[in-house]
Amino acid sequence: MSETARRAVGVSVRDLAKDFGEKRALDGVSIDVEPGTFLVLLGPSGSGKTTLLRGVAGIDRPSSGTISIGGNVVVGGKTFVPPERRRLAMVFQDYALWPHLNVRKNVAYPLATSSLTKEDRSRRCDDLLERVGISHLSERFPNELSGGEQQRVALARALAAEVGLILFDEPLSNLDADRREQLRIEIATLTREAGATAIYITHDQSEAFALADQIGVLNQGQLIQLDTPENIYRQPATAFVARFTGIAGEFPVHVLGETSKRRAEVSLPFSSGYAIEASTMEKIAPGADLRLFVRAAGVTLAEPSHDEGVCGSIRDVAFKGHGYDHVVDVGDGYSLTKIYSSTKFERGQNVKVCFDTKSCFVMDSSREAKATW
Amino acid sequence: MAIAVLETTTPAAPPSTTRSKKRGSLGGVILWIVLFLLIIAPVGSFLILGVSPRVFQQGPQWFTLTYVRQAFSSYFGQGIFNSLWVSTIVAILSVCVATALAWLIHRTNVGGRRLWTVAMWLLLMMPTWMMTLGWGDLLQPFGAAQALGVNTHWIYGEFFGPMGIVIVLTSAALPFAYFIVSAGLQGLGPEFEDAARIHGAGPIRSLQTVLPIIAPALLSALAICFAETMSDFGVAFTLGYHSHFPMATYMLFNAISSFPANFSVAAVIAAVLIISVIPPIVLQSRVMRKRSYAVLSGRTRAPRRRELARGPRAVATTAVAGVFFVALGVPILGAVIGSLVKNLGIESPNGVHFTLTYYAQIFKPSIQGDSLGAPLLLSNQLGLVVATGTGVLAIILARRLIANPGSWSQRVTDVFLLGSVAVPGVVLGVGYIFFYNLGFISHNVVSLYKTLPLLMLALVANAVPGQTRFMAGPVSQIQPSLGDAARVHGAGRMRAWRTTNLPLMSRVLLWGWLLTFTKTIAELAISQILYPPSQEPASVSIQSYLANFAPNTGTAMTVLTLFEMLAVIGIALSVYRLVTPRGWRRVGFSGVQS
Repeated sequence: MSETARRAVGVSVRDLAKDFGEKRALDGVSIDVEPGTFLVLLGPSGSGKTTLLRGVAGIDRPSSGTISIGGNVVVGGKTFVPPERRRLAMVFQDYALWPHLNVRKNVAYPLATSSLTKEDRSRRCDDLLERVGISHLSERFPNELSGGEQQRVALARALAAEVGLILFDEPLSNLDADRREQLRIEIATLTREAGATAIYITHDQSEAFALADQIGVLNQGQLIQLDTPENIYRQPATAFVARFTGIAGEFPVHVLGETSKRRAEVSLPFSSGYAIEASTMEKIAPGADLRLFVRAAGVTLAEPSHDEGVCGSIRDVAFKGHGYDHVVDVGDGYSLTKIYSSTKFERGQNVKVCFDTKSCFVMDSSREAKATW
Repeated sequence: MAIAVLETTTPAAPPSTTRSKKRGSLGGVILWIVLFLLIIAPVGSFLILGVSPRVFQQGPQWFTLTYVRQAFSSYFGQGIFNSLWVSTIVAILSVCVATALAWLIHRTNVGGRRLWTVAMWLLLMMPTWMMTLGWGDLLQPFGAAQALGVNTHWIYGEFFGPMGIVIVLTSAALPFAYFIVSAGLQGLGPEFEDAARIHGAGPIRSLQTVLPIIAPALLSALAICFAETMSDFGVAFTLGYHSHFPMATYMLFNAISSFPANFSVAAVIAAVLIISVIPPIVLQSRVMRKRSYAVLSGRTRAPRRRELARGPRAVATTAVAGVFFVALGVPILGAVIGSLVKNLGIESPNGVHFTLTYYAQIFKPSIQGDSLGAPLLLSNQLGLVVATGTGVLAIILARRLIANPGSWSQRVTDVFLLGSVAVPGVVLGVGYIFFYNLGFISHNVVSLYKTLPLLMLALVANAVPGQTRFMAGPVSQIQPSLGDAARVHGAGRMRAWRTTNLPLMSRVLLWGWLLTFTKTIAELAISQILYPPSQEPASVSIQSYLANFAPNTGTAMTVLTLFEMLAVIGIALSVYRLVTPRGWRRVGFSGVQS
C-alpha cells in the first residue's frame, strides 16, 4: 500500500441534523465517503452544504446524528471531538489567512504541533510553497497578495499537515474566471497527489463535474442524490437535480408509451403530432402527464430542410470562441437555451431542432422527495 | 466496520452540548452577579431615592416629587440647563473638527500624520481638570503667558466662563469623535469618492457625497461626545466652580457634600444626567446595529490617500497643528511653565523668575505635610489593578456582545452597556457611598465602606462599559474563520485564541489597558468621593494642594503626574515594539481606532 493511500481516511455521516433555532439546516443526511475519494457537495445557497462541512470539521456541533472519520466517531451521542483532534485540514471561502503571519508562517502553522524537526518543517514548507507556485512570496503578508495568491497559501496550508481529509468551503468563489480554472486544476492535482480524501462544496455544477469522483446534491437540508458525475448528469434522481445540474429547457409532455426499459415516447406540447423518445428514471404509465427535461448537450441544430426534428427560430446567438450558443424558440412560448453549434445560425433564422434520447428525461416534477440509491 | 470512539472519556475531551450550555449559563449568571454588584445595585438604589426616599430610610415619603421640583429649582436647575446646552454645543463642535481632522489625517498626505495620531491618544488620556489647570496658569494675570511676554489680560475673563468651558470640553471630546469617525472613514473604500469624482463631482462635492455614508459614525460620535460632556466632572469641579458657572455634575457633588447630605436631590440630578444621554446613544446604537463590522481579515485593503499639492498640504498641516496646539499644546505649555515660574499669579517688582523649587517641594512638602510620592504610588497601584481587572471583564463582555447576534443575552448585554456608558463617574461614586454604606450590606454582606477595594471596584465599574464598547469593535472585526482555521489545523481552544485572536487584538488590548491606566491615575470624580481617609490618590492630593494655598506645588505635581503617565505609555509601547513579532504590529491599528 502506498504512503498516500495509507493516509486517506473514510468519512461516514449518519442521520445528521442541525437546527438553528426554528430553522432546520440539515435534515437526516447520511453519506459514506471512501478513503481517497474526491466528494463534491453541490447545492444552492441555504441547501445545508456549508453546515454539513462545518459539522465534519467540528466548527459547528450538529443537533443529532453521527460522524465518523477514519472509523473513529467524532460526533455521536455525547461525543464531540473538537476540530484540532480530528486530523483534518480546510480551505476556507474567505481564505482565513492570519493577517499578522507571513506566507511561510501561515503555511507552517499546522506543523507546529507535529513531531518534525525545525529543519524538516522548513523543508516541507519550502516544498509546498514551490508546489503551489508562491515560493517567491514566502515573506509577504496576506494583504500584500492577490486573491489567487492568497488562495494558494490557503491550499498550501491545508496540504502542510499531510492529513487524511481535506475540506474545501467554496474555495474558488471569490476568484475571477481565469484564476478559478487555473486553481481548480491545481486543487484537483495537488489533493489527489496528497492522497487525501476531499470533501469540496460548491454551487457551481461545472466545477463539481470537473473535480468530483462523486457528487452529493443537497437541497433544503437533504441529500437528494449521491452518485458519480456521469450518473448525476445522465440519470438525475429528481427534477431538482436535473435543473440544478444544467438543462436547456423543460416542457410538459404526454407519455404515449414505453418503448423499452427506461425509455418512453412522449409528445411535445409545441409540435403537434411530433413525438420523441426520452429516458425515464422509473416505471411510468402510458397517458401520464409529466415533464421533459432537456440537456443542452442533447440538442442539435440543423437547416430547415433537415428531415428530422421540430421547427424552431433563433432568438439569440452568442459567440463562445470554439463555436456558438443559441437560444431557440420552439413555439407556444417555449424555448431552449445554450444550444451549441459550431456553425452560426443568425437571429430570426428558422432551424430544425433535433433531440438525443440520452439527454432527455421524463420525470414527475412534483416528486422532489429524497431519492434512494 | 468497527467504530472506535476518539477521546470521549479523557478529561481533555470537550463537553457535550448540554454541559457546555450549562457552563455557559453558569458563567452568564456569575457575570451578571458581578455586574449587579458593580453597577446595577449602587446606581439603582441611589436613583430610587429621587422619588422614594423612604425605601432606604432617607426621608418619610414612599413617593414624592418634592426633590424633582427642588432639583429643577433656580440653583440646581441652572446647573442642569447649563450642562445641557454646553454639551450640545460641544458635541457639534467636536464632531465637526474631528471629522475634518480624521479626513485630513486618514485620507490625505497631510504632514505629521503619525504624530497627530499619537497626539490624539495623549489628548484622550488627559483629564479635563489638567487641561483647565494648564489654561488657567497660562492666562491668569502674571501667569505663564505673561512670563513669556504675552499679554493675556483681555482673554482671561472670557476664559473663566462658558467660553473656556466649551473650549476645554471640546478639546476633551475631540478624541472620541475623531476615533469613531476615523473608523467609519477607514471602512469606507476609495471607490465611493472615485465614483463621485468620475461622475463630475469636485473635491468638496465628492466629500459631501461620501459623508452621508458615514452618517452612523457621525451620529455615534455626536452621542458619545454629548454623553462625555454631560458626565464630565473635572471642568465642573474646577473651571465651572471658579467661574460661577454651575454644571449638573458639580451640583450633584455639592448636594451630597453639603451637610446634611441631600441624596434625594442628588439622585434626581443623576437621573437627569443619565436620561439626557440615553436618547442620543440609543439612536446611534439603532443606526449602528444595521452595519456590519466584520472587515478585518487577511484580505483587508487600506483606503487610498489623496495627494495634496505642496501649498494645500502646508495649509492643511498648519490647520491640524493649530487644532492640536489649542487642545493639547496650550494646556501642557501653561502647566509646565506655570510650574517653573516663581510665585505664579503674583506681581513681582523684580520681574519673572524661573525656579525648580516647587518640584523639590513635591517630595519635601512644607505646607501640606504630605508629599506626592505616596499618592502617586497609590494611583499607580490603583491604575495597575483597575486597568487589568477592567481589561479582563471588558474582553469577556465584548465577546458576549458580539456572540450570537440578535439573541436575548446579546440584546440585554448591549442595552445594559449602553445604559452604563451614560452613568457619569460622579453618579457611580455617590451610588457606591450610598449602597455600600447601607446597614444591610455593611453588616450582612461585606463591609467595604471607606476602603481602598471599594474605590477600586467603583473605578472598574466606571471603566468597564466604555472599555467594552472600545473592545467590541475590534473583536467583531476579526473574522470567525481565522479562529476556525486554527482549530481545524490542529490548535486547541487556547492556542487558537493565543495565536490568532490575541495578535490581532494585541494593540487594542495594550491601548485599552493604557487608556484605563492613565484615566485611573488622573480620575477625579470617584476618587474625590470614595478615597479612604489618609489614602489620597494623586488627583485628590493635587486638588488639595491647589485649593489650599499651594497652587504652584499643585501645578508641579500635575506636570509630574502627566509626565509619569507619558513615561508609562512610552515604556509600554517600547516594550510592545521590542517583544512582539513584526506581524503583530502590522495589523489591528484600524481596530484600535474604532
